Amino acid sequence: MAETVKKKLDLRRRSMPKQMPEVRRHNFKEVALGYTEKSAVEEAKRCIQCPKPRCVGNCPVEINIPGFIQAIADENFERGVRILKEKNCLPAVCGRVCPQEEQCEETCILQKKGGQIAIGRLERFLADWEAVQGELKIPAIPRSTDKKVAVIGGGPAGLTVAGDLIQLGHQVTIFEALHEMGGVLIYGIPEFRLPKLIVKREVDYLQKLGVVLRTDYVVGKTRTVESLLEEYDAIFVGSGAGLPWFMSIPGENLNGVYSANEYLTRLNLMKGFLFPEYHTPVKSHKRVAVVGGGNVAMDCARSALRLGAESRIVYRRSREEMPARLEEIENAEEEGVIFDLLTLPLRYIGDDNGWVKAMEIMKMELGEPDDSGRRRPVPIEGSETIVPVDAVVCAIGNSPNPLIPKTTPGLEVGKRGNIVADEETGRTSRDKIWAGGDVVTGAATVILAMGAGRKAARSMHQYLSSP
Amino acid sequence: MKFNSISEILDFAIDKEEEAYQLYTDLAANMSRESMRLIFLQFANEEKQHKAKLLNIQSGKLEIPAAQKVSDLKIGDNLEEVAISSDLTYQQALILAMKAEKNAYKLYSDLSELATNPAHKALFLQLAQEEARHKLRFEIEYDDFILQEN
Amino acid sequence: MFKVIASKMIVPNIHLLTLEAPEIARRVQPGQFVILRASEEGERTPLSVSDWDADLGTVTVILLNIGHTTDQLASLEAGMNIPTVVGPLGNATEIEKFGTVFCLGGCYGIGSIYPIAKALKEKGNKIVTIIEARSSYLFYWEDRFKALSDKLFLITRDGSKGLRGHIERLPQIVKEFGKPIDRVIANGCTFFMKRVSDMTRPLDLSTWVSLNPIMIDGTGMCGVCRVSVGKSTKFACVDGPDFDGHQVNWDELLQRRKTYMAEEAVPMRTSRCEEHSLKLRKN
Repeated sequence: MAETVKKKLDLRRRSMPKQMPEVRRHNFKEVALGYTEKSAVEEAKRCIQCPKPRCVGNCPVEINIPGFIQAIADENFERGVRILKEKNCLPAVCGRVCPQEEQCEETCILQKKGGQIAIGRLERFLADWEAVQGELKIPAIPRSTDKKVAVIGGGPAGLTVAGDLIQLGHQVTIFEALHEMGGVLIYGIPEFRLPKLIVKREVDYLQKLGVVLRTDYVVGKTRTVESLLEEYDAIFVGSGAGLPWFMSIPGENLNGVYSANEYLTRLNLMKGFLFPEYHTPVKSHKRVAVVGGGNVAMDCARSALRLGAESRIVYRRSREEMPARLEEIENAEEEGVIFDLLTLPLRYIGDDNGWVKAMEIMKMELGEPDDSGRRRPVPIEGSETIVPVDAVVCAIGNSPNPLIPKTTPGLEVGKRGNIVADEETGRTSRDKIWAGGDVVTGAATVILAMGAGRKAARSMHQYLSSP
Repeated sequence: MKFNSISEILDFAIDKEEEAYQLYTDLAANMSRESMRLIFLQFANEEKQHKAKLLNIQSGKLEIPAAQKVSDLKIGDNLEEVAISSDLTYQQALILAMKAEKNAYKLYSDLSELATNPAHKALFLQLAQEEARHKLRFEIEYDDFILQEN
Repeated sequence: MFKVIASKMIVPNIHLLTLEAPEIARRVQPGQFVILRASEEGERTPLSVSDWDADLGTVTVILLNIGHTTDQLASLEAGMNIPTVVGPLGNATEIEKFGTVFCLGGCYGIGSIYPIAKALKEKGNKIVTIIEARSSYLFYWEDRFKALSDKLFLITRDGSKGLRGHIERLPQIVKEFGKPIDRVIANGCTFFMKRVSDMTRPLDLSTWVSLNPIMIDGTGMCGVCRVSVGKSTKFACVDGPDFDGHQVNWDELLQRRKTYMAEEAVPMRTSRCEEHSLKLRKN
């Protein structure tokens, strides 16, 4: 009997080369540099190709993960790209910003031994490899169905719907309020996490497929959804969650107090970090406090650092509870962002000219677990302190922009301002109108928006194809 | 304010719940957005239920709940007062509610301090705790939803 | 890309810019604004729409050349294209039959109050127009206002035309007018609108202003345009731009508008000099 040679488990996750913290805190270039071919192949070969892979089911768009990993292991990158793109039209984006550690990688069988496959890094590797191969092959598009689809919002959900439906033969136009496509990919996520060239490449690809892109078009103002319904057979609303929440504490209108959206839009969309070559100014601050603990807060704090400020996160709960990706928290810590945890701003204090000069904070402690089991922060009496700052960025979250619901009668809206849509199909309370992404769920992730877009596209196609 | 009996105190508390019900119903009627109208109607309904509970206590159908410490997250304490308009947001609705419940809690706490009759004192304290419980419900919603990233 | 149909300086430092934007022209209402970008690197700048032609598909803005971006816009020539014209943004001015409406305009506000006054007139209101400028050579569109106003007052600082003085003349004009005034609408720079509101408050005249805070997206996304109105914070781009002048926290608005004054000087120093030297070299 032949000896069964057990394949020795290689539990060593190949590390991602990154710019050194001391270097990268002074530039906006991408932090993670991407796998070399050698690292990618080695990492891919670690995958034991489970007969019943658990990773696939935990991917919001159900990518054939073992499939593309095997392709990398076989050094057939073209095949890998093809498999990847069957389900994910923005792999270069997702490979960078997906919280794989909570999705596919979390269920990897090797996770228990700390050696889960770096699925995200491999996805990114393939997408980046494809990008340098030259002209992208345009797939054959079936004959035109003569059906017209309007997609409102050029963010991840909208781009996914557009990409899926154009390849099914429908005519698709994306209407985007800002002057560039991408939504949160372009205004929210900084250059050092997601280079804008990548977003542009994905958007250009859609254009090559035949999607019509209309920027500077605010549906609800330039034209209403009702008016679009006269011309289009189906409408997808992916207008996102762009309405910023403020803390509602005294001093929030002082000069130097920003919403995270403003701060990031100046830097990312308007390229304020290249001022004055780009004309939108960004102020040089000395001491920036960013309130919040999500990815947006990390992005703001790390951007402030890069602009030369002493940058601090002010977060009401403990480190374990921060909703930001651990990877981004660690990156921020390495770069020198200060973390004031269990801290709450009570008010902002201004100088005689209306500029913020300090904030009064209070320390918090976690109380006893309540009925839900959650330990909620409670202020510590007498812990009020004044901390000097010259800028504050409020990054506590966003809710859906109310413009589309306000201007579209009969569109059911939930209490949180979100458009109510069926989870499986994306259908709303109005005929011919679908919705998905942050406008339905509230601020969430890129991949969830894409997943919702995918489901909506499927439902829309079914509708458009029926007699 | 002078109260001569437990029943009088409960009458007072029942009137207060009715006031709160009216406040939210009026706000609901004034909202330009349907979703916000429904939210205030929901708040109004909760006050109606509080009132029903007090009526049951007054008629002897229910025992007043025993004294029990209620968490105070103090979320609404330093938030700015909400200016009433027809275009309130969910965040503003929650702040309004937290502050209203806090005021009610403070009213009963103060009345408890002032009462000389031990039975009255105890009842005011229990009513204060009821309000604290109502406040907590809004604080938890605010903590879970508005403050999910903080 | 959006074509520039016309670009000319109509009075010193005030420019008229007409752009081809058919979808905006079809929907725009008095009181609304557009956001322009003159180039890929350009700032997003909000400007009230002062005129439009739905048939020709054009919108017209009036701007005061006061800084880098307005200078860039003023330098545009007919036939050029600009990357962004987005709108119509903001809420339209309330146009109803109020009775008698005082329409006040200063500087670029003379342009933006024009469509408002016109629409109010068409709705059956009596229109008393007051336009103010430093000197007579800074007035424009006088004929347009003459045609629609029941009464037209001009005020100049130097007395070269009309009444001598500035908008501080308003209470006197109101007194001499002697009849009930149902609404006052003021468009112009922040200080102008503040002064009007301060003067009409004791006279108990309902006053509406078109606020001009700093903006970026104009769709309610960033909050930089937030203004305190009464006890609330409002976003001028989606809740306004019109607000009750008596409720506005003017000091805060004036303060917030100064946020980038230091940065404003930087591109003026660098790019203008470079452009200028380029022009000299070409010649």
